[in-house]
Amino acid sequence: MDELLQQLNHVRGIGGSMLLSAEGLPIAAALREGTDENALAAAAGVLMESAARLGRHLSLGGIGSLSTAGDQGALLILAAGKSWLAVIIDPSANLALLQLEARPFVERISQRLTL
Amino acid sequence: MESEIERLRKKVENFPSASSYNRLAELSRLAGDDGDAERVCRKCIKEFPRNGQAYVILAEIRLAQNKKPDAVQLLQIAIERDPRSYTAHRLMADLLIADGAKDQALAHLRQIVTFKPNDPAVSARIVELEGKPGKPADTAPTVVGGAPVARRAIPTAGATPATPAQAVASTQPSALPARPLPATRVSALDALCAESGVSGALVADGSGRTVVARKLPAAQEELLAALASEVVRNGAAALSTVGQDRLSTLTVVGAQGQMMAFSRDQRLTVIVLASTQVRPAMLELRARQVLIDLGAG
Repeated sequence: MDELLQQLNHVRGIGGSMLLSAEGLPIAAALREGTDENALAAAAGVLMESAARLGRHLSLGGIGSLSTAGDQGALLILAAGKSWLAVIIDPSANLALLQLEARPFVERISQRLTL
Repeated sequence: MESEIERLRKKVENFPSASSYNRLAELSRLAGDDGDAERVCRKCIKEFPRNGQAYVILAEIRLAQNKKPDAVQLLQIAIERDPRSYTAHRLMADLLIADGAKDQALAHLRQIVTFKPNDPAVSARIVELEGKPGKPADTAPTVVGGAPVARRAIPTAGATPATPAQAVASTQPSALPARPLPATRVSALDALCAESGVSGALVADGSGRTVVARKLPAAQEELLAALASEVVRNGAAALSTVGQDRLSTLTVVGAQGQMMAFSRDQRLTVIVLASTQVRPAMLELRARQVLIDLGAG
């Protein structure tokens, strides 16, 4: 799994990635030095839990992805089976394009998780 | 959060202050312990009887228990104790709007304008209400502005209620001249909602309350504002763990629809519900215009 994340990080514009459980616990991580993987996993877990609640109450259906962007980059979180793949996006990168590029990795991760 | 709660508990034991009590009660609520939050508020009221915020927190607890009339009574007391309580006036206005008492709600919002004249959320809400027909106020307003009042019993969970509109008549602030934004300032929101695939949108303030809404059923309005604001807060927290301090956009894509949020400083957030075919980038410019028009761009 670490290897898959390393490969994903080679995509231009991606500054790190992590796989976390639905409970917000880190499963695998390939993050830049200085990024606290436990803090990121916990915050992403809480975020996805609140997003799922919003989806339930407003009939949006199951949440497939969430992206949140600031002035200095973005965080993209994609459903990978019952887990979440969090991808840190550099500020100059095209979020939509990277979302497409990350899809095949999501499929591979989902397959591995179901093995 | 638990350690912060413990720290505050020790603080209120050794060096009690109204603000520490308020913070402790709020954290207890966030931790899901409304019983503890209520105990903290009651203790605070004993020690600091003029602390209006404790009554506001109690009112929020009653609202969570679906005891709206009790909440209204508590907000009345909060306003009596602290006539410049922003949260008490805002919450009271929201309850009155839900009750159809538009004029009384407007009076509370105008009261806020007297001590916080440049609040875009309040100004926009005034504009919204002035353009919306509603029940006229059935009682002539009277001033409460800071006058000493007799101490009232705090409504308990089982207290019997008047309707919110009747209950507030005695504490209705005087009708003061508003300084509303021109109605054109919310026209950008109409333009956003006219986009194909958009099922509705609203502007929420930092507390997750609706400022202006379009094309959304009233029941969905409050729910969307509260839930989306929570997601935005959590999104900002997640961003901060990767070294980013300011959230500008957030998109949640579900199988049957998506929610987009556009913010500048989280003071005001434009929240849009749309079909999955809508591209967030397409709506971003319009949403930014809404924020600019409301003074939060």
